[in-house]
Amino acid sequence: MWEGMLDGMWIGIQTTLIPVNIVVVLFGCFIGSFIGMLPGLGPITAVALMIPVTYGLNPATGMVLLAGVYYGAIFGGSTCSILINAPGEAATVATAFDGYPMAQKGKPGKALAIAAYSSFTGGTVAVILLMIAAPMMASVAKSFQSSDYFALMVMGLTAVSAFAGKGGFLKAVLMVVVGLMLSTVGTDQTSGVQRYTFGSLDLLDGISFLMLAMATFALTEGLLMILKRLDTTGVFKSENVGSISDLKVTKKEFKKILPTMGRCSLLGFFIGALPGAGATLGSFLSYGMERNLASKEDREEFGKGSIIGLSAPETGNNAASSGSFVPLLTLGIPGSGTTAVMLGALIAYGIEPGPRMFVERPEVFWAVIMSMYLGNVFLLILNLPLIPYFARLLAVPKNILIPCIFFFSIIGVYLVTFNTFDIEMMVAIAAVALVARLLNYPMAPILLGFILGGLMEDNLRRSLEIYNGSIAFLWQRPVTMVINLMTLGFLVMPVAQMILAFRKSRRAGDRFNA
Amino acid sequence: MNSEKIGAFLCLLFSVAYGLGAFTIPLTFLSQDEVINARTMPFALGIAGVVISLLIILLPTIEAEGRRSLKEVFAGLDWQRAIWFLGITVIYGLIMKWLGFIISSILFLNTGFYILGERSLKVMVLASVPLVIGLFFLMSYILGMYIAPGEIFYMIGVIK
Repeated sequence: MWEGMLDGMWIGIQTTLIPVNIVVVLFGCFIGSFIGMLPGLGPITAVALMIPVTYGLNPATGMVLLAGVYYGAIFGGSTCSILINAPGEAATVATAFDGYPMAQKGKPGKALAIAAYSSFTGGTVAVILLMIAAPMMASVAKSFQSSDYFALMVMGLTAVSAFAGKGGFLKAVLMVVVGLMLSTVGTDQTSGVQRYTFGSLDLLDGISFLMLAMATFALTEGLLMILKRLDTTGVFKSENVGSISDLKVTKKEFKKILPTMGRCSLLGFFIGALPGAGATLGSFLSYGMERNLASKEDREEFGKGSIIGLSAPETGNNAASSGSFVPLLTLGIPGSGTTAVMLGALIAYGIEPGPRMFVERPEVFWAVIMSMYLGNVFLLILNLPLIPYFARLLAVPKNILIPCIFFFSIIGVYLVTFNTFDIEMMVAIAAVALVARLLNYPMAPILLGFILGGLMEDNLRRSLEIYNGSIAFLWQRPVTMVINLMTLGFLVMPVAQMILAFRKSRRAGDRFNA
Repeated sequence: MNSEKIGAFLCLLFSVAYGLGAFTIPLTFLSQDEVINARTMPFALGIAGVVISLLIILLPTIEAEGRRSLKEVFAGLDWQRAIWFLGITVIYGLIMKWLGFIISSILFLNTGFYILGERSLKVMVLASVPLVIGLFFLMSYILGMYIAPGEIFYMIGVIK
């Protein structure tokens, strides 16, 4: 196995060190940081916006670019959290707990530098773990059959819902189902019959995943900014840039955060590798763990600008971002909304995600992993000195920013199909998604359900055909049964939480708004 | 009814319509006897959607955010601008084929800037024209993508 791994690493190094791929990693990190830093825009939007650009590249280069955009966007989001307390997405919320107070105390440069070093450490440790875990997992997964894949997909979708929180479980499951429903639109691949096309030729190929991603994230974010009159330009002015140039972190401070970075890298990676958990849980759990482990003196600093409190979620979310590539690359199951978009991109490149990719397209598999090393180094040495300049982005007024977000989203979709019907449909979906988001229904599960829907139906069909129409495939193969038991485990957790919450509110005499 | 339940109610309506739509999916002669056919998944998903929506409607709301009324959720939002913006996006989609990428995009961006309150013509032009023309050159000359000129140029005889 180790020999195969070394061979693979060599292929990955060779692919990554092609000049075009080095440029692409650099560009990905840069553009990811750039988009991630814009208030309201997270990694899902950043990755979705860049997909049209990757269609002209070979799959390995395209995936390297998207991976760079992903961790660049996480890094950029942290900057936004620290400087203006406006996290672009949930994974960087915990960063603001201590990063923003530190910036308020007149140390924004130090806060950004600690975030950068922690991100680098979390990302690098996680890539080493990814390099070991991914081939092992892929080797095991090579023996998987259709029934195992079907069970895995159900587990992935259940896990996404399970991590949605005690009150959000059913809503997340419902959104997964809506995503699965949308995936059935178009021509059925097996029988060739049309489903929900309403006689429209434009719907014969189904709904484009890129259009759905842009509509549910990029356009909706822009519309929410308009609706809520969110304007960050008053919070951060370009003349404040000078105060963030002091990026010095002392040796003593380094010593203090070193154990935190080590622990949170491991925790973040394992959390990220769980289907559905992702960077958000990685950052919050890391923050919670370090708060519990901190001395009484340090604990009192939490929430007031603690360097441990800043380092922990930053390390955790970056490690989890890399960890989320384990289920994506080895099983073809996305661990988060962003990796779901990347899975969609892989399918669009004509690559079948999963363990077969490890055997048939090792250059894609290993190039993504090896490029992460390079990406982490680029993020540190390039972005750290560029932070003061990047921060000027926060001063871009919303009345210029939002039309540009819309423009890039629309053009991204239009340039793939050259069909204006997609633009009209994108607007319709964005309007519906906007209402859903205002009603507090999550969007990432829709994307996951949509992307896995076709694969899930195929595997279910094959499993039923192999077992002559019997659902015995769910328990007859030991692997399938183990996966199904894990799914049950994921279901038990939120259901138990829900029951406890119901009892608690009943005891409190709450009458509920029915 | 709180906002969470209104969302579930809308999903319930969608699921019912989707489930009923499954009956209209045509089946080939051979697939009618198959264990799983083109209708199976939509039918199962329709039922799942109905069941989960009903569970959300019938069970108590846990999240504080979900207990807010529709009035509270929608209060103070700038709907007028958002609707205007969606409107110009639809128009952008409709005119792109006729006016071509460059003109329609510049028009869209400038109208968008104006709707959102930008009044400086210099800022609007400087933010839109270089962006659109730069992107056009990047797509056409560097990435080699063909972007069709607007139909209007053929109609008025500029391009033959």
